[in-house]
Amino acid sequence: MTDMLETHDLAKRYRRGVWALAGIDLAIPQGGITALVGPNAAGKSTLIKTWVGFERPTRGSVRVAGIDPWRDRSAALGKLGYVPQSPSLYDGLSVEDHLDLARQLRPGFDREYARDRLAQLDIPADRGARELSGGQQAQVALALALGTRAPVLLLDEPLASLDPLARREFLHVLTDAVRSDGATALLSSHIVTDVEQSCDRLIVLGVGKVLLHDTVTGALGAHAISLTQRADAVASFAAPDGSRISLVRGTADRPATLDEVVLGYLASGRPSSVAAA
Amino acid sequence: MTGALTWARLSFRQQRWELILVALGVAGTAVAMLYFAFTLDGMRAASPDCLRDLEANVFTDSGPPAACQAVLTAYYDAYNWGTNLANVAWLAPFGIGVILGAPLVAREIDGGTAQLAWSLSPSRVGWLVRRIAFVSLFGAALLAVLAVTSALLTAAMFPELKLSEDFIYFGRRDLPVVARGAGAIMLGVLVGAVIGRVLPAVLASALVIGLAFLGLSLGEDRWNASEATLQRFQETPGGSMSFDMTALAVAYGMETADGEFITYSEANERGMNPHIADENGGWYASEEDLQAGRLLGYDARLSIPGQRYPELVLRHSALAAALGMLALGLTAIVVVRRRPV
Repeated sequence: MTDMLETHDLAKRYRRGVWALAGIDLAIPQGGITALVGPNAAGKSTLIKTWVGFERPTRGSVRVAGIDPWRDRSAALGKLGYVPQSPSLYDGLSVEDHLDLARQLRPGFDREYARDRLAQLDIPADRGARELSGGQQAQVALALALGTRAPVLLLDEPLASLDPLARREFLHVLTDAVRSDGATALLSSHIVTDVEQSCDRLIVLGVGKVLLHDTVTGALGAHAISLTQRADAVASFAAPDGSRISLVRGTADRPATLDEVVLGYLASGRPSSVAAA
Repeated sequence: MTGALTWARLSFRQQRWELILVALGVAGTAVAMLYFAFTLDGMRAASPDCLRDLEANVFTDSGPPAACQAVLTAYYDAYNWGTNLANVAWLAPFGIGVILGAPLVAREIDGGTAQLAWSLSPSRVGWLVRRIAFVSLFGAALLAVLAVTSALLTAAMFPELKLSEDFIYFGRRDLPVVARGAGAIMLGVLVGAVIGRVLPAVLASALVIGLAFLGLSLGEDRWNASEATLQRFQETPGGSMSFDMTALAVAYGMETADGEFITYSEANERGMNPHIADENGGWYASEEDLQAGRLLGYDARLSIPGQRYPELVLRHSALAAALGMLALGLTAIVVVRRRPV
C-alpha cells in the first residue's frame, strides 16, 4: 500500500531554540482517517504545516504522496486539502464567494461538490463569513478542503473551538467524504472521544516525538488497564476517581479505553519504538 | 473574461473599504480640480481686461486698477486653491500606496487567510500577482483620472504656457502621477508582506515609500545634473530679469567670470562671499566691489530646457515603475519564503 504522508527523521527547531519536532519517522498509508493526538505544544501543528509547506524542516524530510513540498510545492499542494487551526475565512466574503475564490485559486476545484456539502448542512451560500457560527465556519473550511478533491486532507485542530454537536457534524461530514472519496485524512485533535468514533489510525505525539502509532483497534487490543502498579507498565496515571492505574501491554484487569491509551502514552513520554515493538 | 470579472469582484470585496475611501478621495479632488479649472477659465473670459497678461498690464508701478481689485482677489483665491490641489496630486500617489498597498498581503497574514489562500493556490507567486493586479489597476485608473484633471487645472492656471514643453508642476500632472502611484503600491505591498501586521505595515510603509522616493529623487537629480545646461538670467517680456521658467531647475548658483558654474555654497567655500547683487544678476562681495565693478559672477542655474519635458516624464515614470517592479520581485521572494501566520 502506498504511503501518502511520510516523514524521515523530521526535526524542526524554531528561532528561539525550541525543538518542536525531534526526529520523527512516520508513514501513513493511503485511505482512512488518522488521528494526531497530543497536548498543546506537542508539535501537531508544526508537523502538519511541514506537510503543507508552511514550515521548513530543520532536519530530515517530509513527503506528500511521494512529493517533497519544499522541492516541488506546487505539485505537493495539488495533492493536499488543508483546514487551518482557525477557519481563516475572509470577513468580507460570503460563503459563495469563498467557493468562487477557491475555484479561482485551485485548478479543478469542485465547487458543486463543496456547495452540496454545505447545502446538506443548511449553511446559506449568501451569508457573510463573519455572520456564521464557529461550527459553520469550520464546515465552510472543510468544504473548501473537500472541494479540492485532493487525495490527502490535513486538518489542524478544526474541532478545538466547536461545541459537541458541531464537532459531531463536522466529523460526520469528514468521515462520509473520506469513505466515499477514498481520501487519506490526518486530523489533529486533543479530544480523544471524538477521535475514537471517526478515526482508523492513531498517532500520539508528545514533546516533539511519536509516542504511539497504530490502528485504533490495534491500540485498543494491545493494551489493558491494571488496577495495581506494575513494573512493566507503559505508564501509571490518575484515574477519574483519584486512584492510580497502569496502562500495560497485553492483558490485565480490564480493557483500556482509547482515552486511557492516549493518557498512558502521554504520561510515559516513551519513544515510538515502545509502541512499535 | 468571466474569471477576471469574478476575481475583480472578489478582490474588491476583500479590500472594499480602502478602495472606496481612495475612490471617494480621488473623485472629490478631481471634481474640485475641474471646478477651479473652469472657475479660472470663466473669470478670464468674464474679465479679460483685468486678467490678461497680469505682469505687464496689472502689476505696474501704480498697481492694479481699482475696478480689478475684487476680480483679482477672487482670481487669486481660486489660483491658490489650484496650487493646493496640485500639491494633493503630488501627494496622492504616495497616500494611495500606503492605503491600498500596505494592507494587501499584511491583512492576509494578520487575519490568517493566507493559510487558506496559500494552501489552495499551487503557486504563491501566481496568487500574489493576481492579488496585486486588481488593486494596482484600480489605483492606476484613479490616479490616471487625477493626472488628467491635474493637467487640466494646470492649463487653466497657466494659460500662457505650452505645457507639453514646460516643467511647471512636474510630477503633479500627467504620467508621473500614475507611475509613482504604481511604484508606491508595490512598495506598500512589500512592507506589508514583510511585517505581516496591518497597522504597523501602514505606518512603516509611509516611511519606506517616503524614503524610497526621496532616494529616487536624489538619484534623478544627479542624472539630471549630468545633462543640465547653464542658464543665465534673461529679460522677460515684462522687462524684468528672470530665468527661463519653462525649464527644470537642477541647481542654483552663479557663473564665474571665467565661465564656470558654482553653487552659492561652493562660492562661499572658495571665499568669494557673494553678498550684493545688481539688477542684472551680477554678484559682488561688498558695496565697494559693486562700486568698483569687481564682479564675482552672474546669477545662473543648471537646468534642463522645457522641450525635454516629454522625455523626462517618460524617464521619471519608467524609474518609478522600475522601483515598483523591484518591490514586486522582493515581495514575491518574501511571500514564497515566509510563514503564512
